[in-house]
Amino acid sequence: MASAVHLDGITKRFPGVVANDDVDLEVERGTVHALLGENGAGKTTLMNVLYGLYEPTSGEVRLDGEPQAFRSPRDAIDAGIGMIHQHFMLVDPMTVTENITLGNEPRKWGGLAVDRAGAREAVVELADRYGFDVDPDARIEDVSVGEQQRVEILKALYRGADVLILDEPTAVLTPQEVDELFDVLDELTAQGKTIIFITHKLGEAMRAADDITVLRDGEKVGAVDANATSQEELAELMVGREVLLDVDHGAADAGDVVAAVSDVVVEDDRDVRAVDGVSFEVRAGEVFGIAGVDGNGQSELVEAVTGLQEVDAGEIRFRGEDVTSTSRRERIDSGMAYIPEDRQERGLVMEFDLVENGLLGSQHGREFAPNGRIDWGDTRAHADAIIDEYDVRPPNADAEAHSLSGGNQQKFIVGREFERDPELVVASHPTRGVDVGSIEFIHERLLELRQQGVAILLVSSKLEEVQGLSDRLAVVYEGEFIDVVDPDETTEEELGLLMAGERPGDGDGGGGGFETASEAEPAPSTNADAADGEEA
Amino acid sequence: MSDAAGDGEGGFVERYSTRALFAGTTVAAVVALLVAGLLFPDSLAGTLAAVLTSENTLAAALRLSVPIAFAALGGIFAEKSGVINIGLEGLLIISAFGAVYVTEVTGGVWVGFVAGVVASTLLAALFAVVTIKFRADQIIAGLAVWLIALGLAPFASQVIYNSPNTPTVQTMGSIAVPVLEDLPFFGALFSASPTVYLLFLAVFCSWYVFERTAFGRWIRASGENPKALDTAGVSVTHVRYAAVIISGVLAGMGGAALSLDLGQFTGNGPTMVNGKGFIAIVAYLFGNYNPVGAFLSTMLFAGLDAVQTVLQLQGIGVPRQLIRITPFVVVIIVLALVGRTQLPEAAGDHYETEE
Repeated sequence: MASAVHLDGITKRFPGVVANDDVDLEVERGTVHALLGENGAGKTTLMNVLYGLYEPTSGEVRLDGEPQAFRSPRDAIDAGIGMIHQHFMLVDPMTVTENITLGNEPRKWGGLAVDRAGAREAVVELADRYGFDVDPDARIEDVSVGEQQRVEILKALYRGADVLILDEPTAVLTPQEVDELFDVLDELTAQGKTIIFITHKLGEAMRAADDITVLRDGEKVGAVDANATSQEELAELMVGREVLLDVDHGAADAGDVVAAVSDVVVEDDRDVRAVDGVSFEVRAGEVFGIAGVDGNGQSELVEAVTGLQEVDAGEIRFRGEDVTSTSRRERIDSGMAYIPEDRQERGLVMEFDLVENGLLGSQHGREFAPNGRIDWGDTRAHADAIIDEYDVRPPNADAEAHSLSGGNQQKFIVGREFERDPELVVASHPTRGVDVGSIEFIHERLLELRQQGVAILLVSSKLEEVQGLSDRLAVVYEGEFIDVVDPDETTEEELGLLMAGERPGDGDGGGGGFETASEAEPAPSTNADAADGEEA
Repeated sequence: MSDAAGDGEGGFVERYSTRALFAGTTVAAVVALLVAGLLFPDSLAGTLAAVLTSENTLAAALRLSVPIAFAALGGIFAEKSGVINIGLEGLLIISAFGAVYVTEVTGGVWVGFVAGVVASTLLAALFAVVTIKFRADQIIAGLAVWLIALGLAPFASQVIYNSPNTPTVQTMGSIAVPVLEDLPFFGALFSASPTVYLLFLAVFCSWYVFERTAFGRWIRASGENPKALDTAGVSVTHVRYAAVIISGVLAGMGGAALSLDLGQFTGNGPTMVNGKGFIAIVAYLFGNYNPVGAFLSTMLFAGLDAVQTVLQLQGIGVPRQLIRITPFVVVIIVLALVGRTQLPEAAGDHYETEE
């Protein structure tokens, strides 16, 4: 029998770039296939060809052996392909049902009205068939990210998708939600659906997939059986050389307190407490990590520390001085470096070249602007030094920031911030959307600084990152620190539960913890519930 | 209503609390005024109460609210789809003039009405092309629509009639519903211009479109997350064109109703439209993009305007100029109180399909 999906010799050229070069991909019906590669390896381009967004320069798309010529996503959808984008395509104020049926609403009265009861029924039936847990009447803005993802999958299924493409589906999920997603994928393949998922995470590819195809620089460099490979082999295929996956951590040699945050409260635009009474200290020569699912107040906390957001209560001390209400500029000048989470929004001016970007944050400084006029010679030398020292490619200070890949943009920012000789580095998601090679590099540099006695505040939603780098690790949930743990003594599962808001000790049935118990483990929480009931 | 106000005072944080609080306060104030008026018929409160309970006031408020409410409905369609149409004022002006001109030429008042709607729709279509196809800034293009109409209508009148004001033509007249028109106070609802009934119909139809039809959902999706609509296989461009053109049709009905109820277009200064298109924007924002809400807030402004007109004539010892600005002061207070209206997420943004 022919494969469900067969991409045969796909080449896709853009002006000046070959995004895919003679790539083959075969996916069997009823299997999960991982498409693995670094950023810019051509994974998404390949899937956009399959989804009809791009027409290939050469090569052929075959479904069940039949050649296809997709001119638009509409054609691909009609042929039974569904795509779940990394950024969900959902309308927040609308309900789950309204979103699933959007564009294909069942009608009544000759099309004059939406058959709302019929739509709801169709959604419930579909969810039941695949064992999905969704509330058809909830608004998208009120449901969890995991549920939003299930809605996206249901949307594709509602449109009759047979082959589902998932683009980086785990990027926004908690570990428990990832487990749930993988269960969902199992259920889908059991019912004959075919899944392709794009990822750059080795572990997930091995766990969830049956087969793995690895892309590098637009070329297919290998197709392996997920059960007969190792992370090391995959990493080497992806990067093209051997990669050290485990960071050599070494013991912390913590010195004096560099930064102290006490009882800080930050309210967001809607007067909701995004950070709700957080206290911690970061010492010289240690990495203090903050783990948590995105949107639990990390961004606001980091912006409060760096001086980008006002603090509504509490105190921030830096090098012994109260900096709670000092300006961003003063904080930079006194030795606080900041790697922002959104490099394109906050880290760089995309239309500036690297010379100008290298100056950002130091434009008032004596060394670059004596007498208030910028010394462009020194500034250029500074940018060249960063490019050289931090391996930014292409090594051209005149290149505009937007022309660099994400990993190289990030390396440039890291270089600029580290060159300030900081006493505190606030690193917010320093390796988000960055390829494996650059991740390794950035991690090494962070630990080097730590060795030199710099205090590091690290925020990340990647567990292996915060766990691997931190000396002490706080888990944040809804603006509060749930717990501060020793990352070496804590398992990923324990961290996952903390990230889902389950306070330590709740598992024993004390303190009403089942209210926040993770959905991933309905059985134990139900038992606890029942047990409590009997006692009462 | 007082329950809702109580919730608001209790600091209960929910989406409509400020609106509920405001509506509650308004109702409470009106009730207090009526009671005071009843007790002291000779005081200022007595005068105000008499004005408020008069059938003439309701009739005047309805008449005033027709152009504003039609424009507000149009604004809802455009803005919900993601196109902010601040050119409503211009659409009202052009249709007000077009309606009177064609009525004068043909002698048919309904022919004139349709002509006014066509004029407004054409201008709205131009606005749609400029903002959607050529991706012009919506605010600037909207201002241009206003300025074009503000210049064009009195100019055309000057050329044709040698005066910024047109001669008077036949009016719409009124339709009375037997028996119901004799009701105290509410009788005004049943002895009114046909445009008032048209407005009721338009409010209901707009509500129905948004709440019950697939097209209404597409408009909402187009304004909230156009990409979601696009990937669902519905053309965002088509939806936005349709919504802006509907806004032209509705505003055109408002403008035509305005001039044809009077039988004349006056083009001096800000013209007879005199800011009604801008008040319409406030009305639909205060009504939270709900057609019924927009209509009710229009009635509030129109009611205040009717009251201030009567008060000016009665002479209550307050300078006229101060009374005249009451509706606008209320507009500012309302905006300050309501504060946060949830704008459609993608309102004002251009949308490009990925290629």
